[in-house]
Amino acid sequence: MFPGPTLLAAVTAIIEGALNQALELDPAGRQALLTALNAPVRVTITAPLPLAYTLHTTGRRVQVSSQPPETPGLEIQGKPIALAALALGDDRVFSDGWLQVEGDTALAHQLQRAVNQLNPDWEAAMARHIGDVPAHFLGQRVRGAVKWSRNAFQALNANIEEYVHEESRALPGRRELEATFADIDELNLRTERLAARIDQIGNRAPTDEPENP
Amino acid sequence: MSEQQPPANQAQNSQGQDDVTHFGFRDVPKSQKASQVADVFHSVAGKYDLMNDLMSMGIHRLWKRFTIELSGVRPGHQVLDIAGGTGDLTMKFSDLVGPSGKVVLADINASMLKVGRGRLVDRGYAGNIEYVQADAEHLPFPDNSFNAVSIAFGLRNVTDKDQALRDMTRALKPGGKLMILEFSKPTNPLLSKAYDTYSFTALPLMGQLIAGDSESYKYLAESIRMHPDQDTLKGMMESAGLVGCKYYNMTGGIVALHVGIKP
Repeated sequence: MFPGPTLLAAVTAIIEGALNQALELDPAGRQALLTALNAPVRVTITAPLPLAYTLHTTGRRVQVSSQPPETPGLEIQGKPIALAALALGDDRVFSDGWLQVEGDTALAHQLQRAVNQLNPDWEAAMARHIGDVPAHFLGQRVRGAVKWSRNAFQALNANIEEYVHEESRALPGRRELEATFADIDELNLRTERLAARIDQIGNRAPTDEPENP
Repeated sequence: MSEQQPPANQAQNSQGQDDVTHFGFRDVPKSQKASQVADVFHSVAGKYDLMNDLMSMGIHRLWKRFTIELSGVRPGHQVLDIAGGTGDLTMKFSDLVGPSGKVVLADINASMLKVGRGRLVDRGYAGNIEYVQADAEHLPFPDNSFNAVSIAFGLRNVTDKDQALRDMTRALKPGGKLMILEFSKPTNPLLSKAYDTYSFTALPLMGQLIAGDSESYKYLAESIRMHPDQDTLKGMMESAGLVGCKYYNMTGGIVALHVGIKP
């Protein structure tokens, strides 16, 4: 059986250690996450290797275990990329079915909010090891790089969208598409209503016939 | 180095005589084994944690972690940690049971208990832990007392293992879980040879250099070879009245975690 118990324990120890280290750097975020994990949460990664972990709280720490809890409050199942999207605050992971959720869905949203709001003070952690000034210098550079890459990604997305919709005309525009979908929905609704009315008339017809002509 | 085996004549003796048991590869009267094991642990108690880390290269922490994960212990539970030694498992159980639960750290050896108590108190563990000097064969607890009973690296030192298993089962509540973490038999022959070489050369040497006692670590290596293998121990647990018994080989079977439930 791979991974064996020793390796599983090593992985859970690493995840637990990293998670609690990060939470130490954000006391407010930690409280929100601890509250969200009041009931055990089972997270199952389906690919490339099926792995399942349980998150729950013990005192002021989050515990990570490879064993299933007796009564999970929530079970989340999906691919690593969907779980990463969940951690980054993408709401569509639930509505689009990227993640399968069993149990309390309100708890799932609460957990997502708590994870999304986490903002560990990495600069303070670095400052403990390399000093305030170098940590601040590095922190500024890292923040700048993250901000630049985020802006660049958004600009790239916008440019591609504009090219596809407006210049090459390969796809219809977003609003045009939304209007078409709304029309299709309306037509679908009206067709269903009409079908229901025809069924109703068809069912009523035999009873209208007199029993003794 | 060839695989180490107990001397053949002693193995026969132990089968033929009811009043002797093994102490490593030697046969000793049953009445003397407990005191000889006690001498070993009195000798190594001070350096026990350091030696565990060195000998297992830190992997004993992962074996114990998996045991804790599998225990299913929750807030409010009563847990008995037999042969708890320096309190590695007790510490984790104490976190899990919380202030409403209780963990009993039991060890037959006063020196180990003293080291364990000092270590736990130094780390701020107090309030939900009790310390009891107790023999695993005669546990001083009422029937059906604990949600979980654990014994980590202790069963091979017990003189009458069947009696100890019966008494641990007695102390468990119905539905409670017994967990035995113990050295076992490697499943891979190559690993087995490497492990033998390591056990019979490196361990006594490390014992001499670090703890100033090579004999105790020679006993450790020998006692591991005399301990029942995975399937035999599973059968012994079933004979003691446990159900759903199974084992998990760890690090190629060098260590196995046996789990059984009291019906």
